[in-house]
Amino acid sequence: MTLKKDYFVYILIILILFLPWFNSDSDQISFIPELSQEDNPFYEINPCKISLFEFFNANKKSLFQDHYFFRPNNDSSINCFGKITGISVQQKNLETEFIVSVGTNSLVNFLLQGSLWLLLISFVKKTNLVAKSNFRFHEIAILATSYLLTYSIYAQQRFYEANIYLLDLSKNSSYILIFLIFLFLTKNLIELYIARSSKLINMVPFIFLLSGIFSGSNLVLFSFIFIYSGIKALFEKKYNKKIVTTYLVLSFWWLINSNGSFYFNPGKFRGFTNSVYEFNSNLYWIIFFLLLVLGVLRELHLHLEYFNLQEFSKYFSISSAVILITGLIGSNFPSLNFLATYYFGLQRNVVELTNPFIFDEFGVKISWRGMSPSSETIGEFFGLCLLINLFSILQKSNLDKYNYIGILSSGIGLYFSDNRTSILIVFVIVLFFFVRANNQVMDIVKKHSKKIKISFSISAIIMLYIFLQTDTYTFYSESLLGNSQLYQYDSIFSSYLNLLNFSFEEENFLFYVFGFFSVLGYLLNRAEMWGIFFARYNPTAMELVVGSGPLTLGQLYGEIKIEDLSSFLLPHSSLLSYIVYFGLLPTIYGLYILFSAMKKNKSNTMFLSVSIYMILNIIKNDSLNYFPVFVLYVYLLIIFNKFSFATEKS
Amino acid sequence: MSKVVELCGEIPSNFEKVDFSSNPNFVFENDPVFTAKQLFDEEGNTVFVNSFVECEHYVTGGWEFLPLKNNEVQMLDMMLYVVIALLVFTYSKNFVKRYIK
Repeated sequence: MTLKKDYFVYILIILILFLPWFNSDSDQISFIPELSQEDNPFYEINPCKISLFEFFNANKKSLFQDHYFFRPNNDSSINCFGKITGISVQQKNLETEFIVSVGTNSLVNFLLQGSLWLLLISFVKKTNLVAKSNFRFHEIAILATSYLLTYSIYAQQRFYEANIYLLDLSKNSSYILIFLIFLFLTKNLIELYIARSSKLINMVPFIFLLSGIFSGSNLVLFSFIFIYSGIKALFEKKYNKKIVTTYLVLSFWWLINSNGSFYFNPGKFRGFTNSVYEFNSNLYWIIFFLLLVLGVLRELHLHLEYFNLQEFSKYFSISSAVILITGLIGSNFPSLNFLATYYFGLQRNVVELTNPFIFDEFGVKISWRGMSPSSETIGEFFGLCLLINLFSILQKSNLDKYNYIGILSSGIGLYFSDNRTSILIVFVIVLFFFVRANNQVMDIVKKHSKKIKISFSISAIIMLYIFLQTDTYTFYSESLLGNSQLYQYDSIFSSYLNLLNFSFEEENFLFYVFGFFSVLGYLLNRAEMWGIFFARYNPTAMELVVGSGPLTLGQLYGEIKIEDLSSFLLPHSSLLSYIVYFGLLPTIYGLYILFSAMKKNKSNTMFLSVSIYMILNIIKNDSLNYFPVFVLYVYLLIIFNKFSFATEKS
Repeated sequence: MSKVVELCGEIPSNFEKVDFSSNPNFVFENDPVFTAKQLFDEEGNTVFVNSFVECEHYVTGGWEFLPLKNNEVQMLDMMLYVVIALLVFTYSKNFVKRYIK
């Protein structure tokens, strides 16, 4: 990446970064008191008067003391942007916590955050390596993208009414401004992207750093590129006709099935989840998902030849280091925490856990998530960074400074995140490559390969047999059902729980399949989470087979009442989420394609390592429900399916 | 929704519009059930009304301005002009580039 000597761009970035937070209306106020429990009323009777920087000036402690929390208030007026809109005081043990609400209007966020991210992309050097496509299709695709994004606001009014101040979303005229904002962003983003696309394929890891989610919205800036590209793929008829036709048939069913109305607070899934289970919203997310997948595939098809493992590894390492440092700084400085959350476009604010080494009273490490929405997801990212660095080192048989940066930062980050599955898988893969690189060990393995295979198989069968005979297996295999029954409310049973109860009484085929899944859940420490999921899961026979529609969790969370939980709990398994979205049949088919690719490409150790790493993490984590993870995983699978050490050398 | 309903609340079932022109000395009676409302005119002058009848009278007479809302509407208008200007700049920049090429 080369920095431009365009001072105008630098000045513009500095203005975007600082100017909004100087917006003040405090002419009539002679003195701004320091915030305390006693002086709180001053801030209560003067909302939208004092700028954020005036607040910092009057409350210098708020810059670094960890009992101040700054939160964006997206439902404030344009005039209130950057000003303190309210403060609430709460007592936590002996400490007084101040939650400072800062005005950030959602419409302004689109322009402000979008402009900053566009300017940052403009720093990437132009390459112009990809041939320009049909001009008319290009403009139509941009217009169609903007229209679809505007439709997303219309379709999810329930979410946006709470986030857009005084804009009457029931009036069609209100959407003119929104459409024009999206047109401006899409047009500029696509122009910038096309001129740099062959370079940007290696920069995909940066979407973990710059998430690009607009504050107060359910949209990710980078999804605009894939929507555009997906529309282009449809124009150019570059897609798998069978799969798209099947998807359209399923879409028809999902839309017919859109009965009722269930709201789902997107929370940390913001940008990649349906907020309302309703016809319009379901329609938007069905189109969005199709275009996203077509777009990602088209971009990979066009740019795969520009993939460079060393560049990719370098950007992974830089992202990893910046994510770690930003997380550490943000967790210790509330002011920077707010600004980082806003300008990186994060799903959630940076973690407020100041000490990443901390253990709880039972001696269990408290996981640290830094600037990511979840500690497990960032653990997966750090684990992947280690793997990519390993591949990079193996390819060039050497270590450069970026490898050191990547290994150090992701090693520390992985420890902080306490994602033990990732730690274990990375360890096993590194060990595998180490053994493979060692000629003496490999000679022994090759010489005795038959004996090793036979002894491993026999040991595995014996161990499995013994395990199946013990009470431990019975206990493990019933743990999920036990947890489901624990959270089932009164006489309300989900259809799936009914099915499970029946199969456990009858001891039929499902009893054995689910028993195995339950053992897996217990071993992965997911018995409770998955138990809660099955207490909720209430599909009809068709929904079980073909799902309720892409990225739609509203029905799951709204249809069946279960016992009250201490906090909102997600399924904790991307596999289960995708069964809700697409049903058993398409999910199993997707896994079949992946396993077939693994079998076909079994000599490609990079692809196998990445696939195994992903599959295991997908089973036990919600990660595929986050936009950056979804995009990165699809990129990695397709890139490493085509790319190997052998192809690189040839 | 009419301005009266928006600013004064739902119309009471027993409401009858009174013609004040015949009685210039008419005095509004306070309605204990009605929550006092603050109304604004175009110049920012303010008045408190204590009954639906009084509120309806003022609103239909032009005291129908909401400073916050008006301010926001103005801001949204301004934003619309800014976005249009940005779009014109974006498209004209590309057009000029293409024309020169």
